[in-house]
Amino acid sequence: MEVSFSKEIESLRLGAGETFHGEGILAITKALLQSGVAYVGGYQGAPVSHLLDVMVQARPYMEELGVHVEACSNEASAAAMLGASIHYPLRGAVTWKSIVGTNVAADALSNLSSPGVVGGALIVVGEDYGEGASVIQERTHAFALKSTMCLLDPRPDLSVMTRMVEEGFRLSEASNMPAILELRIRACHVRGSFETRDNRPPPISTRALMENPAAFDYMRLAHPPVTFRHEKLKGEQRIPAARKYILENNLNEVFAGAHEDLGIVVQGGLYNTLVRSLQQLGLADAFGATELPLLVLNVTCPLVPQQVSDFCSGKRAVLVVEEGQPEFIEQEIATLLRRGDLQTKLHGKDLLPAGGEYTVEVLATGLTQFADRYLPAAGSETARAWLAGNQARRQAAAAALDKPLPARPPGFCIGCPERPVFSALKLAQQQIGNVHIAADIGCHAFGTFEPFSMGHSILGYGMSLASRAGVSPMMQRRTLAIMGDGGFWHNGLLTGVQSALFNRDDAVLLIFKNGYTSATGTQEILSTPAEDAKSAAADKGRSLVHTNRTIEAALQGLGVQWLRTVHTYEVETMRATLIEAFTSPFDGLKVIVAEGECQLERQRRLKPWLASLLRKGERVVRVKYGVDEDVCNGDHACIRLSGCPTLTLKDNPDPLKVDPVATVIDGCVGCGLCGANAHAATLCPSFYRAEVVQNPRWHERLLHTLRSAVVRALQPA
Amino acid sequence: MSPVSLLICALGGEGGGVLTEWLVETARHAGYAAQASSIPGVAQRTGATTYYLEVFPVPITELAGRRPVFSLNPVPGALDAMISSELLETARQVANGMASPERTLVITSSARTFTTQERMQLADGRADAADLLKLVAQFSRAHQVFDMNALAKEAGTVVSAVMLGAIAGSGLFPFRREDYEAVVAAGGAGAQASLRGFASGFALVAQGRTKSDYLAQVLAPPAAAPAPPSQAATAFPAPVQELFALGYQRLVDYQDRAYADLYAQRLQQVLAAEREADPQGTHGFALTRETARWLALWMAFDDIVRVADLKSRASRLARVQGEVKAGEHDLLKVYDHFKPGVPEFAALLPQGWARRLTAWDRRRIARGRQPWAMPLKIASHGILGMAALRTLAALKWLRPHGSRFALEQRMIQQWLDGVVQGARRAWELGHEIALCGRLIKGYGSTNERGKDNLLHVLEHLAAGGVAGDAARAIRAAREAALADDAGKALDAALVQHGAPPRPVKAVPVRWVRKPRGLAADESPLKAR
Repeated sequence: MEVSFSKEIESLRLGAGETFHGEGILAITKALLQSGVAYVGGYQGAPVSHLLDVMVQARPYMEELGVHVEACSNEASAAAMLGASIHYPLRGAVTWKSIVGTNVAADALSNLSSPGVVGGALIVVGEDYGEGASVIQERTHAFALKSTMCLLDPRPDLSVMTRMVEEGFRLSEASNMPAILELRIRACHVRGSFETRDNRPPPISTRALMENPAAFDYMRLAHPPVTFRHEKLKGEQRIPAARKYILENNLNEVFAGAHEDLGIVVQGGLYNTLVRSLQQLGLADAFGATELPLLVLNVTCPLVPQQVSDFCSGKRAVLVVEEGQPEFIEQEIATLLRRGDLQTKLHGKDLLPAGGEYTVEVLATGLTQFADRYLPAAGSETARAWLAGNQARRQAAAAALDKPLPARPPGFCIGCPERPVFSALKLAQQQIGNVHIAADIGCHAFGTFEPFSMGHSILGYGMSLASRAGVSPMMQRRTLAIMGDGGFWHNGLLTGVQSALFNRDDAVLLIFKNGYTSATGTQEILSTPAEDAKSAAADKGRSLVHTNRTIEAALQGLGVQWLRTVHTYEVETMRATLIEAFTSPFDGLKVIVAEGECQLERQRRLKPWLASLLRKGERVVRVKYGVDEDVCNGDHACIRLSGCPTLTLKDNPDPLKVDPVATVIDGCVGCGLCGANAHAATLCPSFYRAEVVQNPRWHERLLHTLRSAVVRALQPA
Repeated sequence: MSPVSLLICALGGEGGGVLTEWLVETARHAGYAAQASSIPGVAQRTGATTYYLEVFPVPITELAGRRPVFSLNPVPGALDAMISSELLETARQVANGMASPERTLVITSSARTFTTQERMQLADGRADAADLLKLVAQFSRAHQVFDMNALAKEAGTVVSAVMLGAIAGSGLFPFRREDYEAVVAAGGAGAQASLRGFASGFALVAQGRTKSDYLAQVLAPPAAAPAPPSQAATAFPAPVQELFALGYQRLVDYQDRAYADLYAQRLQQVLAAEREADPQGTHGFALTRETARWLALWMAFDDIVRVADLKSRASRLARVQGEVKAGEHDLLKVYDHFKPGVPEFAALLPQGWARRLTAWDRRRIARGRQPWAMPLKIASHGILGMAALRTLAALKWLRPHGSRFALEQRMIQQWLDGVVQGARRAWELGHEIALCGRLIKGYGSTNERGKDNLLHVLEHLAAGGVAGDAARAIRAAREAALADDAGKALDAALVQHGAPPRPVKAVPVRWVRKPRGLAADESPLKAR
């Protein structure tokens, strides 16, 4: 794994009366243990990866507590794990990235919600929404509504967030509904502190096993006819029970304000942004004391009609601050007001944008309109001037630049084994024409950015091969599907490979076998090199993914007949193999396994190994590539074929030339792509490979001395 | 009283997370309420990312139990400070409206990490540092600019330590220097180096002696390289002399004095034409000066002889030694990647032989084979490798007899004629044609593409219509030719100015129809 959590694991052990300092998502992890969780599962993905990563690394402590931790193969398997809570009084928590993970889990969630749970079931989802997001902007709220689950959206304050974890379990148990706790990116990464309590070892656990299974009960199955009964239970018992619990335990918070005839209903997660926006209008102070009354919904589903009507009644107008579309909360409040015949004016998406992240500026813009209409005396001139100033500065800045600033999307790491494959693919297409490329989720999706700009569609994690099934029958040329080993195990093996084989499709699949799910933080999977292979390797810097052949065995087991394994750095071989796949008379699924271990993991092994060799005074060879500045022609074709961050530009030292030359800067890990590309693409002859031998042996040194003398004699100045 | 806010801009993997953690810990150490957040996501993979921090400037003990509500998002126009390890990222946040001239202190590194978009251009796609700095200056209350990477390297640490020192040195937060240092010192391994980096960042910013030196350096015109005025150079007006001297010297080094004299003679023709077009010299002899540059470079076209010569010099080995930071007791081995093909060898052969060799290669390609080439990894630190390179370099005498030399001279003359004739019609037209020399560079297909583009532009745009229009058309075409290597933009520009697009070149693209054609379609479901 990319990150080591030794310090964080220590803070998981904090007891009553101590203070936790750290990131939001780790505070949630600690709160799970305080709640007596018995089992934890999930699938990694920003911004909640750390929850599972920490638990996996803290396995010894989890075993001490009797908590079972499972790194699930995808979100569906994580959601299905919650089935333990259908029969048994076990508290379980699972986590993933929403909305994509919730989509994958949807089947299990429906089947879980219908019979309901007796043990608290909590799903911690990271909302990847707004700035920095990497997925579609859709609301998890829709899932809570359709499957009748509770949805908690706590105020981004560590003490509230952790309290809501414990309340979430109780709410789930009180209502028999699974509960979702949603956290926005910035809340997951917020650094703060809270008073901890002792961890509670679960009463039933891996250390205190159940003796017998539960008795057979058809009511616990999501099968007709009992699903009709479940549906009644949802409306008649579960939702009312949840509402009662929410009200009695004050899960939602009401903050009073001087202007009692107005009010704002806000999702808990947006509370801080709202307060800062009110401050900009002079309607709140630094400590959150506001002039407008607030109803802060730490639970956004179900709403408590009584609480909402109580808050709204007697007010001239209420503003609902609800991020994303459609505006489920606002619509429900509108229904409530109408049914109750309350004449309070309702505002929300009429003053605030339908989609996109609600930042302070966005909220303040809506609030100035609300204030203008209902608080004309409050005077929002300062806020208005500030908002106008922002716009004016942006325009002035844009005008001061003759072209827009270049974007900086993420890209392949230095030495990434996936980059060479895109180089080979670019070269192959120059020879056989362009092909339709079905891309996928994972590090390899960086191939959609410059300098490669490859990939026609991304339909979901592990979906590339499946997503070309409608394209390839309609096209004269073959298509290519790209998948990572993470995607392969998550979904691709079944939705893609199995389907293509069953339908006898003529398809080409390239699998990046780098040994980890790397984009999410290099978590281990079924095809990760085993620990003993790592310790047995004489050269710790070598890629070791060839030692694990689970992917190849699985493909052969399914009946794949055309299978090639190519080391990714062999650009020329990779190009030839791609061309063979596109032109071969073989009519069926052709799979190329592109083998090369994630370099983050390789470097993690390599660095301490090299350091120890140097400490012991042993021979070490360091490789770096370079460009001869007087030979480089300044056309930068090499960069268009690589994009490596260490292959960059510098001013041309030749006063006659004007275009900058390519240069290899410090940080080059000597992966060899520059050389392989120079040969495969017949680039210019300016690349050299330098090998620096530290602590050379005596005969090596002697030979070098003699050789250098001759070389010097041959060389002109 | 409101919180003090700081936006941190960094690139993935630069330790922005550690910096944020240090700041939050320092606040705690000093007894102030603070909150930080970030949006790392996949930005960890070399992308741009930001961190945001707020500190309430009154000690917790004086807050009577009240807790400030902090924002998780940076608020545009309401930032007290912004610190950034990369100049473009600073400018990006400024352009986003984050910094305000009334309130925001901007501390930025002058260091640039070029984006892929900037690096991959055919010519020079780098954003202008002076433009970025102007933006920073225009939209900040105060600004401090210095090379944080250099300071970090000096201290043997990472840039985040220098940034922490800079923040501390700016006095933004009500913390004492010791608070920061205590937190850094508790960091374990690497703490000493971090403290050194902290100290240098602190000193620089606290004394406010950062921007002036750097600004002066960036905004100053590049210092002119002194070139010894030779006998021949005096034949040219002063503005031309420097480039002429460089060009002359280059060609003596490349071939011999006679070839350099041909250069002088060719340039004289251009000078004569310019004097005719612009007798007063109002353009400062820019036409002759630019021709001096591009003509020298074209005449010294790169071939294997030249490359072998450049790669086998002692000065080159010394340069590599420095670049790869090989220590005194380390052994350095250098392997050069070459892949000479038929054109490279044919270049040195006389016309007839060259034609036969090239024809053989064309036939191979037509059969679907790759063009013939010899991938080599020459150990230039070894005796054999060096001997091979020196042998190749010694073939300099063969060059003027080779087929490529003749071809290049013909094309150079075509271009020069274009410059001279263009200048006779209008100075601007001649100047634009001269600048087209920039299209000629590189090796193999890159070089051929450049020459094709130049000749096509000459043929179809130089002669047309009014001289002013032709000059504008040529400028547009030249810029378009450098936009993409497929030439899409160039063709569009050519058509826009009434010229035909470049003729489609026969490229051996091999594609194969899938075996399961329409006629052969046997439904696999039926067969099953």
